[in-house]
Amino acid sequence: MFSSIQEFYNILPLVIIGSGIVLSVLIEIYSKKSESILPWFSILVFLSAGFYSLLSVKNESVVLQNMLSTGGITNIFYFIFNIGAALVCILSVDYTKKYGINYGEYYILIQNSVLGMMMMAGAKSLFMIFLGLEVMSVCFYVLAGVNRKKEEAIEASLKYFLLGSFATGFLVYGIALIYGSAHTTSIDVVTAGFAEYSSDIIFLVGILLFLIGFSFKIAAFPFHMWVPDVYEGAPTTVTGLFSTIGKAAAFAAIIATLTALFSGENTSMFLPYLAVLSIFSMLFGSIVAIAQSNIKRMLAYSSISHAGYILIGLASGTSVGVTGVVFYLAVYTFMNLAAFGIISLVEGENDKNLDINSYAGLGTKSPLLAALLAIIMFSLAGLPPLAGFFAKYYVFIAAIKSGLTWLAILGIISSVISVYFYLRIVVLMYFKEAEGEVVPSKSFSGFFGVVISVLLVILLGIFPGSLLDLINSYL
Amino acid sequence: MEQSYLLTYLLAVPIIGSLLLLFINKEKAHLIKYVGLIVALIAFVISLIIYLDFNDQSSDFQFVHKFNWVTNLNISYHVGIDGLSMLLILLTTFLTPLTLISSWSGIKNKVKEFTFFMLFLELGMLGVFASLDMFLFYVFWEAMLIPMYFIIGIWGGERRIYASIKFFIYTMAGSLLMLVAIIWLCVYSADLLGGFTTNLLDLYKTGPTINTTIQGFLFLAFALSFAIKVPLFPFHTWLPDAHVEAPTAGSVILAGVLLKMGTYGFLRFNLPLFPQASIDYAGLISVLAVIGIIYGALVAMVQTDMKKLVAYSSVSHLGFVMLGIFALNQEAVQGAVIQMINHGLSTGALFLLVGMIYERTHTRKIADYGGIAKIVPYFSFALLFTSLSSIGLPGLNGFIGEFLILTGAFKSTVLGSWWFTVFAATGVIFAAVYLLWMYKKVVFGEVTNANMNSVTDLNFREKLVLVPIFVFIVWIGIYPTTFLKISDKTSEHIINLVTSPVNQIPVEKIDVK
Amino acid sequence: MIDLIYLTVLLPLLGFLFNGLAGPKIKNEKVIGIVGSGVIGLSFIVVVGAFFETLALPVEQRLNIVTLFQWISVGGLNISFSYQVDQLSLVMSLIVIGVGFLIHVYSIGYMHGDKSFWRFFTYLNLFIFAMMNLVLADNFLVLFLGWEGVGLCSYLLIGFWYDRKFEKSTTSAAGLKAFVVNRIGDFGFLLGMFLIYSTFGTLVFTDVFSRAVSFAVPEHIFVFIAIFLFIGATGKSAQIPLLVWLPDAMAGPTPVSALIHAATMVTAGVYMVARCSILYASAPAAMMVVAVIGIFTAFFAATIGLVQNDIKKVLAYSTVSQLGYMFLALGAGAFSAGIFHVMTHAFFKALLFLGAGSVIHSMHEQQDIRHYGGLKKYMPITYGTFLVAAVAISGIPPLSGFFSKDEILWYSFTNLGFVFWLIGLITALMTAFYMFRLYFMTFEGKEKFDHHKLHPHESPKMMTVPLIVLAVLSAIGGFIGIPEIFSGEHGNLFHTWLAPIFKTAEMKLMQFGGHSHFEELLLMIISVVAALSAILYARFVYLKKPEVAEKTSSRFKAAYNILLNKYFLDEAYDATIVNPIVKGSEKILWKIADNKIIDGLINYLARLIDIISGFIKRIQTGVAQSYALVMVIGIVIALFWIILSYA
Repeated sequence: MFSSIQEFYNILPLVIIGSGIVLSVLIEIYSKKSESILPWFSILVFLSAGFYSLLSVKNESVVLQNMLSTGGITNIFYFIFNIGAALVCILSVDYTKKYGINYGEYYILIQNSVLGMMMMAGAKSLFMIFLGLEVMSVCFYVLAGVNRKKEEAIEASLKYFLLGSFATGFLVYGIALIYGSAHTTSIDVVTAGFAEYSSDIIFLVGILLFLIGFSFKIAAFPFHMWVPDVYEGAPTTVTGLFSTIGKAAAFAAIIATLTALFSGENTSMFLPYLAVLSIFSMLFGSIVAIAQSNIKRMLAYSSISHAGYILIGLASGTSVGVTGVVFYLAVYTFMNLAAFGIISLVEGENDKNLDINSYAGLGTKSPLLAALLAIIMFSLAGLPPLAGFFAKYYVFIAAIKSGLTWLAILGIISSVISVYFYLRIVVLMYFKEAEGEVVPSKSFSGFFGVVISVLLVILLGIFPGSLLDLINSYL
Repeated sequence: MEQSYLLTYLLAVPIIGSLLLLFINKEKAHLIKYVGLIVALIAFVISLIIYLDFNDQSSDFQFVHKFNWVTNLNISYHVGIDGLSMLLILLTTFLTPLTLISSWSGIKNKVKEFTFFMLFLELGMLGVFASLDMFLFYVFWEAMLIPMYFIIGIWGGERRIYASIKFFIYTMAGSLLMLVAIIWLCVYSADLLGGFTTNLLDLYKTGPTINTTIQGFLFLAFALSFAIKVPLFPFHTWLPDAHVEAPTAGSVILAGVLLKMGTYGFLRFNLPLFPQASIDYAGLISVLAVIGIIYGALVAMVQTDMKKLVAYSSVSHLGFVMLGIFALNQEAVQGAVIQMINHGLSTGALFLLVGMIYERTHTRKIADYGGIAKIVPYFSFALLFTSLSSIGLPGLNGFIGEFLILTGAFKSTVLGSWWFTVFAATGVIFAAVYLLWMYKKVVFGEVTNANMNSVTDLNFREKLVLVPIFVFIVWIGIYPTTFLKISDKTSEHIINLVTSPVNQIPVEKIDVK
Repeated sequence: MIDLIYLTVLLPLLGFLFNGLAGPKIKNEKVIGIVGSGVIGLSFIVVVGAFFETLALPVEQRLNIVTLFQWISVGGLNISFSYQVDQLSLVMSLIVIGVGFLIHVYSIGYMHGDKSFWRFFTYLNLFIFAMMNLVLADNFLVLFLGWEGVGLCSYLLIGFWYDRKFEKSTTSAAGLKAFVVNRIGDFGFLLGMFLIYSTFGTLVFTDVFSRAVSFAVPEHIFVFIAIFLFIGATGKSAQIPLLVWLPDAMAGPTPVSALIHAATMVTAGVYMVARCSILYASAPAAMMVVAVIGIFTAFFAATIGLVQNDIKKVLAYSTVSQLGYMFLALGAGAFSAGIFHVMTHAFFKALLFLGAGSVIHSMHEQQDIRHYGGLKKYMPITYGTFLVAAVAISGIPPLSGFFSKDEILWYSFTNLGFVFWLIGLITALMTAFYMFRLYFMTFEGKEKFDHHKLHPHESPKMMTVPLIVLAVLSAIGGFIGIPEIFSGEHGNLFHTWLAPIFKTAEMKLMQFGGHSHFEELLLMIISVVAALSAILYARFVYLKKPEVAEKTSSRFKAAYNILLNKYFLDEAYDATIVNPIVKGSEKILWKIADNKIIDGLINYLARLIDIISGFIKRIQTGVAQSYALVMVIGIVIALFWIILSYA
């Protein structure tokens, strides 16, 4: 099956995850106390896969009959996915116990979804993308409803499933149309022949529908409708998963398909679409978030507007922009995981303390947690010297370089608006006295996960150079 | 050129200090206070050392320390100071310890956090004045919002939340637009310099080559963010709220240093980067400045709250500074620079005094006072002295600045009309009205409010805070040369950059790794 | 001694510092008093020394500059603390320090027992310090330093008894008024300085004045400069339209009124204009303005003085009117005559105030002359000296007032014309009348005070000695300025002494004092006769037939009220300037412009976003179908876009 041993090394990350899944299933079946083993096992799997892909970042190649690319940007995504997933697992350990959803499959599903993401990121063929997308999405649908005892969760899962498959339908249709006009699903071939195909409107419509399918996954306006309900309904850690690496995977797929296009002269063709999406997502997200009182919903809208910022990078249609996007995704992953991690610690059984007012006086009650959340809020708001700022800074550079200054200006307007609701959390934590009895759960693993993410946010803010250089060298 | 680490040490001190605080038990309030004070004093000493081997005969940046930070974007940690920054750094390190001492009795809860934020704030301020890299500057500029936001929000008055959020969003709105302008400038320069860079010294070369229209936009983008900080009429309305709600230390730093960042920004960035636009917009800005002078004074005159009065007086005083800057001649700009320092001292002292009396009486309403002259003679004297300095009585600091500014503005060829000065000079009258009127109502007359009789006079600690400020008030008034000569060459240089900018693309290209 | 001149500035400063810092601790009136007046005494010695030293020098070497250190040096602006010792500054210094010293001594007695005795002397020393800077300055900026400094002291001393009521309001209000009105003047002065600097590129007197001759400067510039500076003078010297503060300044302790608001500070304006004589000489229009303002102020103040019943108020208005005289002189180009009157006026007006003080002192703060009368037998010295002063100010030869005043009238006749002379004469007449009204109602006639409560007595030596000294000066002080017609060949000493200072100015004005001795003599006789008749009439009215006064005042009720309320000037200012500004700032600028409009916009914007947010939120219905619908709409739009743009 492998043309060479090297090829095997190159796709080892996928192999690791794959075998991880198999082993997990076996553990789940044969082990009495699989609940306590699986989290740590999957964390181990993710970390090994993640760091291996980082080490083997140089092994750039295309494997499995031009189905999958390895090394380079792909591996960087692998790294992000796996570290993100690892963090999710750490955060989940006590959270799932708290909710009584610490089933073994929880972790197996996460591993599965990560496998899907990796397939998307590395895809060289539209089929591969579709495959990966479905693998990921199906796991997500299930994960959203993993808390069977809770109606909201089930409703969320159902909505997600319905709308998700609705969107996927368009995606598939798009792929079909592309195939119809290009007679191939190989991204490289499509790219090479882009100029001639693009005279054919069917082809273009295909690409558009393809993009629309992903616009849904990245929660861009107007395909964001599912986001608030699902984010609110799903278990917090799972929401963390959706909103971070889930989104990252979708972007990875877009990059995988479009970066090639960005090289050609037909660059500009779909950029207007992305730009428009970006504008609406940013403004809509920021404005509507103001009116939210449930912190998870608030973060849902915030993630919509962040999708907008990230789209700025894509819309600029340059390698600088893509660098910005990848960097942004990494940063955003850690920011949001930290945020949802803290929420998962603060929230009590059956969705208590999700109202933002339950954060009042947290600054005095548990200073460390409050400080961490404050840092994250400032980072999300884009304040230096935190990573959130640098990520924005970079995509703005990309936009202005490609003459999209107006897009950058709209970006800052939306940031200014967003400052308001991010600050509101800080205000509550520090400037208000505590009202109800909110006792954050003492979960060491949870704390650990949050602290790691926050440290990463700070480090990437102060020393963004290394990661940027890494990304740059493969674009 | 060889590196000098002094500035880096200076910046490191507050960082180390604040980190140190994190490891002290919050119960040990006294220890925390002393640690904070000592750290601030060390910073002051270092800045003095810097001052001692500062060469005021050159307009170049000195004590430059540079190393790559984000190679990918050619962003570097790049600090260095000229006369302008020197003065403001001295002001910062001078005021910070005083404010820490002054709030020893005022700040009772969360002492640890307070001290932490104060040091954090000092770091931000010093960073802004020392940065020679646009990105670095912006980082400090924005980062500084955070501590100030907490200081107002946690230790402020009743409407502190409204005030803090307003302060934060208002300032951020301005600076984000500046961010876009900065990026635009850097992107533009990248072509000329053969690589993307945020190095201010390189941008100085490219800025003037931008065509006039775009220069105008960029100028305005920068100007907005600085004008909000200054604050220039009509962007001043955040100031009264912030000042009134902030704790004394906050108000002092806010008035003493933060506002100067706006004026500093104009001198450091707007003028040299966009000389053409600066000249085009000098008229507009000066008009706003003059309006601010009169408007601020008139509104201050009718305030019933002492702090608000002082806050509006700042609008008026900073108007003078702005007028001086855009008069663009040696007298005016030097006047503006010295006036920044003066305002820092005088208004700082005023806020300190208001804070001191407030701690005793828990009211800032002017009407609640009256006739306290015989109850608290020392306080009364201090208030009179400070007011006189703020009014611009010859022999005290305020006069030097105002006189130079007005003289310069009067003969300014850029403004080219007496009227700016004629109107601005009325501010001299109004200043006397609002301050001495307040003084009369608060200090003179008969004691109307019974519980004033129990008020105690300034204690040793408070005198300790005021005396150094008073020394400088007199020093600048009698022998301003000490301070004027620090910034003399710098002002001259900046004016030259504007009036005769380098209008050709720099030939030698910097290599970008 | 000339090069020690800075001591006259330094010593008072030391006195100020000593009394200010040590005063509250030691609380010993003797020490404070001795130090306070001692420093002035020493300074006096220095000045006298400098005077004689200068006198010994040949005329062309009589201008000496003593530089201490550089003050401001920016761009072209170079200002040092340096003092100019020349004929003019010496005369002023002699007056200031001399009279100042006497008043310091007097104050030791007058302020005896006051709870903040030390504060009084602190301020007094500070005042001398500032005043000496003013008169000795060799450039406009140092002059301005003194100019504002004396303003500050006047503010502090008017409000000295800060907890006392004064008329309708308080002493501190009066002080504030004085300071602010002066500031309005200083506003003009500042503009003057700016214009001078931008025109001549310097603020040093000698350079400015030489360049004023050498540079080709259009006349209107000179006019602007002169007018701007004069606005300053009207403030400091209480001329129309800024005279309103001086009457209120009487709220201060009487020695203060004598020193600051009669003898020295208020004449600063006169000194400044005289100093800038060349600038004014180059702007005839401005000269005319000065003359007109001067004569009108003199006249109106005199009319007000006729009806005042507060002893200090009468003197205050008389001061204003006499200052008007001085400006009339300056306007007429008779600069040295103006300065001459400054000197004589310093003597007799200081004396009058101190006398008044002595009276008030013994009448326990009673200031209404209607409750005095027949005091001469209780306080002979006060009475005698006061009489001398009254005669002097009324211009009866050979007392000092006669020479100075007649000179002014004479010049106004020759250089400005008959009308000015006539108004001047009428003013002189009124002056004589109200001074003697005051005199008669106070010292002569029947005693109108309650003997059980009040036991008038002569004041202590500390106070009477200065009175006597001043009386002597007022009596003989005029002889150094005897006009040629009497003095004959060795001319008018005072003029010859000051001549070098005003030479250039007078040459520019081209006045060869076209003396027809007959005319001059005639005018003198007329004015003397007028003065005498006024005195006699006053005697008739207030001694022989008091009812006449009642009748006249009741017959011309309206006029009488207008005068009594000083033409309702304060009320007019309040109504037209003060209130509009204050009310406008509060009601419109602050409450509306700032809170509603400027700040309002920001807050409304925030609220608007809130509302929009709340509105858009509604599409999130929670119904999956509608979600799908929204998506479909999006898709359709996208499809339309791609098809329309690329098909």
